[in-house]
Amino acid sequence: MQGSGFRAQGPGFRLLALLAVLLCGGVAKSQGIVGLPAASTGKGHVTFAAEVVEVAAGKPVVVELRFHVDEGFHVNSHTPKDDLLIPTVLKLEDAAGVKVVGVEYPKGSAFKLPGNGQILDVYQGEFRVRLQVVVPKGQSSLKGGLRYQACDSAACFPPRTLTVDVPITGK
Amino acid sequence: MRRVAVAVVMVVAVCLLFWAGWHNLRSRRLAMQQAQQAQVTVQKDSSSDSIPSAITTNLIGKAAPSFTLVDLSGKKVSLADYKGKPVVVNFWATYCGPCQEEMPWFEEFTKKYAAQNLVVLGLNLEDGVTKDAVQKASHRLGVTYPILFADEKVGASYGVGDYLPVTVYVGKDGAVTEQTPGAPSKDEMEAHIRKIAGAM
Repeated sequence: MQGSGFRAQGPGFRLLALLAVLLCGGVAKSQGIVGLPAASTGKGHVTFAAEVVEVAAGKPVVVELRFHVDEGFHVNSHTPKDDLLIPTVLKLEDAAGVKVVGVEYPKGSAFKLPGNGQILDVYQGEFRVRLQVVVPKGQSSLKGGLRYQACDSAACFPPRTLTVDVPITGK
Repeated sequence: MRRVAVAVVMVVAVCLLFWAGWHNLRSRRLAMQQAQQAQVTVQKDSSSDSIPSAITTNLIGKAAPSFTLVDLSGKKVSLADYKGKPVVVNFWATYCGPCQEEMPWFEEFTKKYAAQNLVVLGLNLEDGVTKDAVQKASHRLGVTYPILFADEKVGASYGVGDYLPVTVYVGKDGAVTEQTPGAPSKDEMEAHIRKIAGAM
C-alpha cells in the first residue's frame, strides 16, 4: 500500500521530485572550486590561470597553480640540466595567516634543439606547481611571482616574473 | 487528514525548492563575482615583445652603426678597428640555448674563413649578468673570438629587442648585408658569411 502511495500523488509530485533533484544538484555543484578558463595568450608567453580556491582551514591542503606556456614556446623546468639556463622558480610573499609548507614542481620534458641536438629539460603547454599550504579561516590570498625564461626553438626572451595572486577561502 | 498531511509536505517541499533555487542563484552569482575578481589577477606580461618585432630597424644596405665596447679583458674594442674586413656582429645571452648552439659554429667559421679576414664579434646583451658568467659561458662554448659587453643603446642602434640571438652581417665596405633574428641553420649562416667574405 505504501509503495502505491507515491503513484497516488500523480504527475505533479513527480515533477516536484525532478525539480528537487535538478535544483539540489545545482547547489552541490556551486560549492566546489570554481575553475576559470586558461588566460588569453600574453606576450610574455606564459600565463597564470587564477582559480577561486576554497579549502579546509587550519590543516595542510594542496593547492595547484596552473600555468600555461604558449604553443611553440617552452620555459626551462625547475631543474634545467645546464647551469647556464635559468630555472623556473615560484617565489611567494609571506602572507598573513597563510603558511606554505611545501612547493612541488612538475618534472620537465625533454626538448631537443634542432641544430646541435642539445637536450633541454623544459615545461611546455600546461604545467602545475603544487603547494602544500595551511590557511586560516576566512578570506586570504597567496601572492608572489613565477620567474621563468621562455624560448622557442630558434631564440629566447629575457627572464621575466609573472605575478601570481590566488584568493583563498578557508572554511 | 492524510490529504492535509500530504498537502503540508508538498508545501514544505515547494518552499524548500524555492529556497534551494534562490540559494543556487546566489551561490552562482557569488562564484561568478569571485571568478571575475580572480580573472583580474590572471597576469600577462605586457612588457615583452613578440617575434615580428624582433628586429625593429632595417639596416640592410646601410652602414653598420658604430660602437666601442669593452671585452672580457677590459680592453676597448670598436667596430671601426675592423674597417675593410667582413664582420659578423652576433648579439647573444648566457641564458639563451639557441645562442649556445650557434656560437661554436661562428668559432668554426672564423677559422674556415681566416684567409678572408672574417671577424666575429659576440656582443653579450643581458641585464645583470656578471663578467664571470659570460666568461664561463664563452669558455665552455669554446669561443675565442672577441666577446664584448653591449648595452641597450648599441642593441637599439642595431634594432635588437629582447629576442636573441640576432646576427648582423657586415660587408668589407661597412654596409649591412643581412640581419637574422634567431639561430639559423649552419648552412644558412655559412651562406651569409660567404657573401660578406667574398667567397661566393
